[in-house]
Amino acid sequence: MADNEKRCVITGLGMINAIGNSVEESWNNCIDGVSGIKEVRSIDTSGCYAHMGAESAEHFDVDAGDDADKMDRVSLLCVKAAREALADSGIEINADNAERVGVIIGSCVGGAVSIQKFFTDREEDPDGGDPDDIIKMPIGVIANNVAKIAGAKGVVTNVGNACAASTISIEYACDLIRAGVGDVFIVGGADSFSALAFGGFTALHALDTDPCSPYNKSKGITLGEGAGILIVESYEHAKARGAKIYCDVLGGGISSDAHHITAPRPDSEGQMNAMKRALSNSGMQPSDIDYINGHATGTPLNDSTEIQAMQTIFGDNENTCVDSTKSMVGHCLGAAGAVEAIYTVKALGSNTVPPTIGYSEEDLINLKEKAGKLDFVPNVKKEHEIKYAMTNNFAFGGNNASVIFAKEPKDIKPLENNRVYITGFGLVSSVGNSVEAYIDAANGGGALSADGGSLTAEVGAEDFKEHEIKLAFYRKLDKLSQTQVVSGRSCLKNAGVEVSAENETDIGMIVGTADGPATEIINFHEGLIKNGLHAGSAFIFPNTVYNAAGGYLSINSGVKGVNVTLTNGMQAGLQSICYAYNTVRDGAEKMMMACGMDENTEITRLLYDKLGYLAKDGGDMPYALKGKEFVLGEGSTSVMLESEESANARGAVRYAEVAGYAMTHEAVSVGTLAGSGAALDRAIKDACAGAGISVDDIDAVVGFGNGNKTVDSIEMDSYERVFGDAKKPVHSVKTVVGESRAAAASLSAVHAALMLSGRLAPEQQAFIFENKEAKTVTTDITQYRNVLVTSFAAGGSYTAVVLKKA
Amino acid sequence: MDAKQTEIAEKIKGILVENLRIPAEELDYEIELFGDGIGLDSIDSLEIIAGIDQEFGVQMTGVARENFFNIEALSKYVMEHLEA
Repeated sequence: MADNEKRCVITGLGMINAIGNSVEESWNNCIDGVSGIKEVRSIDTSGCYAHMGAESAEHFDVDAGDDADKMDRVSLLCVKAAREALADSGIEINADNAERVGVIIGSCVGGAVSIQKFFTDREEDPDGGDPDDIIKMPIGVIANNVAKIAGAKGVVTNVGNACAASTISIEYACDLIRAGVGDVFIVGGADSFSALAFGGFTALHALDTDPCSPYNKSKGITLGEGAGILIVESYEHAKARGAKIYCDVLGGGISSDAHHITAPRPDSEGQMNAMKRALSNSGMQPSDIDYINGHATGTPLNDSTEIQAMQTIFGDNENTCVDSTKSMVGHCLGAAGAVEAIYTVKALGSNTVPPTIGYSEEDLINLKEKAGKLDFVPNVKKEHEIKYAMTNNFAFGGNNASVIFAKEPKDIKPLENNRVYITGFGLVSSVGNSVEAYIDAANGGGALSADGGSLTAEVGAEDFKEHEIKLAFYRKLDKLSQTQVVSGRSCLKNAGVEVSAENETDIGMIVGTADGPATEIINFHEGLIKNGLHAGSAFIFPNTVYNAAGGYLSINSGVKGVNVTLTNGMQAGLQSICYAYNTVRDGAEKMMMACGMDENTEITRLLYDKLGYLAKDGGDMPYALKGKEFVLGEGSTSVMLESEESANARGAVRYAEVAGYAMTHEAVSVGTLAGSGAALDRAIKDACAGAGISVDDIDAVVGFGNGNKTVDSIEMDSYERVFGDAKKPVHSVKTVVGESRAAAASLSAVHAALMLSGRLAPEQQAFIFENKEAKTVTTDITQYRNVLVTSFAAGGSYTAVVLKKA
Repeated sequence: MDAKQTEIAEKIKGILVENLRIPAEELDYEIELFGDGIGLDSIDSLEIIAGIDQEFGVQMTGVARENFFNIEALSKYVMEHLEA
C-alpha cells in the first residue's frame, strides 16, 4: 500500500559531460566557471551557420558488459554515469533487493547516432543497413541497458519528454517510492551529440554562433552532450544500509502549456504552474527557495519567459540565487534535467552556487536592470546558504517540470488515496476510430485479416471535422501525432469531459509508445543526408521528439496538467495506465488520459522486416507457436482514468476500477525476450497483491501474444506456473488489430473494461492454454469480476494491471 | 502576373504543398498565408525561406513580412531577386 509520508533521498550521483568524466571533475569545473563549449568535433558542421557544441570526451572508459557492442553512444554515456552513481551510493544489488530496484531514464534523441548511421549506409547500398543498429535506435532500450549492468528487476522505463525528460524521471521515482512500488531507483538521463539535434536546431535558427550565455545576451542555445544519474532511495532503505545521504527530494511539479509545439507561453503560465505545484507539493512558500538551477537555454524566448516566471513567483525574495549551468555544459537535452539536478544537489551540499558565465562589463550593467532582487551569479561562483533548491526544465511540446531538493527532512503535502475508475475511451485503430467499431470487430471474433501482412489505421477529414480540428493545426502533425490527437479528443468526448478554465489543470495525460515518431525522425534524417546538415526541415524537426504527440494533444484539447511520455517497448501503453493511476490516486490530478500509440508505415515495416519480425503473407494468429513473424498494426488508444470523487460529481459512466498494477524486469540481452519469463510471473502476482486479491480471483486475462513464438510461449508458460491447473481464458486484442504495440497494450485494458462493463457480447472467443497448446473456446464473460491485463517489452520488461468490475 | 512570375508562383505552391503539408486545393496565389488565412507560423516561415533558397537561390532571411503575405507576394520578391 502507498506510504504517503515516505521520505525520498539522494544517495548516489554519476555524471559525464563536456567538463568532466565524473561528478567530482565536472562539479569542480562548473564552480570554477570552466566552459566545455568548443568547435563541434563529432559531426561536420562546415555548411552550417553555427559551429559550437559542448561534447563529452570522444573516448571514455566504461564497463558496459556483454552488450556493449549493441549499445548506441547514448547508452554508453548513460551506463558510464550509472556505474559511477551506483558505486557512489555503495549499494549492492543482489537477489534480496533487486526486485525493489528500478530504472527510469530520460532522453530526447535516443539512438540518433545509430539512426544516422543506418540510413547513411542505405544511401550507399539501398538493401544495406545493419539490423544491430535498429536495436540501438529507440529511446526505449536505454533503461534496459542500465538495468542489465545494474541487475535491477523492478520498474524499468524511459521518459521521452525531450528536455524535461530526466527531471520527470526523478519525480516519477519519488512517486513510485511513495507508492511502495520500489525502494531504490536509478534515474536520470542521457543524450549524445547528434546530427538530428544539431540539424534540427540549425533549421530552427535556434543555435547561437557564440557559446551560449543564458539570461544574458544569447541568441540561441549551444547543444551539449552527456548523462547524469541519481540514485533516489527511500530514507528507510538508505538508513538501514548506512548509506551516505546527499539530500531529500521533496515535491515535484509537472505541467503542460497547451500553447505551441516549440515556443513557451508568452505569459509563462505553464512554467509557473510547474514551479507552484512543486512548491505546493513540498509544503513550501516561494521565499523558502534559496537557489534555482534554471532551464536557461539561451534562446531569447525561453530566457525572457523564464525570467518573467521567476520574477513573478520569487521576485520579492532577498535570498534567491539563479544560474545557468548550461553556460558551461551546453544544452544536454534529455540529460539536461539530470545534469542540472546533480549540480543542484552539489550546490545544496556545499552552499556554493555555480556561476553563469559569459558576462562582459556591459552585460553586467544590463543584467542589473532585469535581475531585480534575483542574483544571477554572473561569472564567479557564490558562497550562499542553501536550505532548499529548485531545478526547472521545459521541453518541446510545452512540458514543464520542476523539482525541489532539501538539506533537511521536511513534511511534504500528504498524498490522497483515491479510488480510480475508467470513465472513457478514445480509439484510432485498423478496425475504425470509435469504441463502437472496436466492439463490433471484437464481437465478430476478430480473426486477423491482414492485408499484405500489416494493418493500418486511417485518420482523416471526418475525424478532424468531428473534433473541429483545423487545417492550420493538423497539417503540422505527422500521422502518429494526428492519431494521438484524434484518439485523445475522442476519449475526452466519450468521457463527457469538456475542457474549461475551471478544469484544464486537473486533467493530464501519460502517453506510452514503443517506437515513437520513428517515421518523422527518419524523414528528417533522410533530408539531412540528402541536402546537408544545414538544410534540415524546420517543419519536421519539432515532430521528432517522442512527446510531440502528447504536446499536440495538450495544445489542441487545452489540457494543462501532468503530461509525460513513457517509452519501453509495447508495454509502454500499459505503463501509461500505471503512471496515470498513480497520479489520480495520489490526488495530483482528477483525470488522466492513459494512452498508447504506435505507427505502421513504410519505414516501420522496413525496420521490423530487417529484424525478421514482419509478417508479409497474412501472418500467424497469436499463440500459434509457429515462427517469429507477427502482423504489424498501428493506432492509438486513450483511456480516461478518473478519481471516484470526480467521477461521482459529474455522474460519469464507470467502466471498471483500476485495482492494482506491477511493472517488473528480468534483464536479457537487448532486443530479446527469452529467459525473462520469471518477471512476468512476478508482475502478475504483484499486481494481484496490489489489488488485494489472489491470483485465483482472476477470472480472465487480456494477453499480449502476437504470433511470435518466443513471446507467446513466455506468456503461456508463465500462466501455467502462476495459475496452475486453473485454466484462465485469455482474450486477445491482437487478433483484432495486430501488433499495434503500445496502442495494443492500452487497448487490452479497454477490452478488459468493456468486458467488465457488459459492453461486449456475453459470449466471447478466448484462448485456453493446455499442454503447451492454445485452444480456442467460447466463454461467458458476464461473470467476470477481476480481469488481468498483461504486456511485455523486448529486453525483459513486463507490466500487469488488474481491473475490477465497477 | 506574367508567365515567368506564374511559373515561380507554381513552384512556390509546390514547396508549400510538399514541405508544409498544405492540401493543394486549399491554396491559390492570393490567399493570406499567415494569420487568418492558411494559418502559417514562424516555423513555417523558416521552411518557406529554406525552400525558396534551395529552389531559386534567393535569400529571404530577414525580409519584410509583407513579402510573405501570399504566394503572389513571394513570387514577386523571388522574381525581382533572381540572378539574371
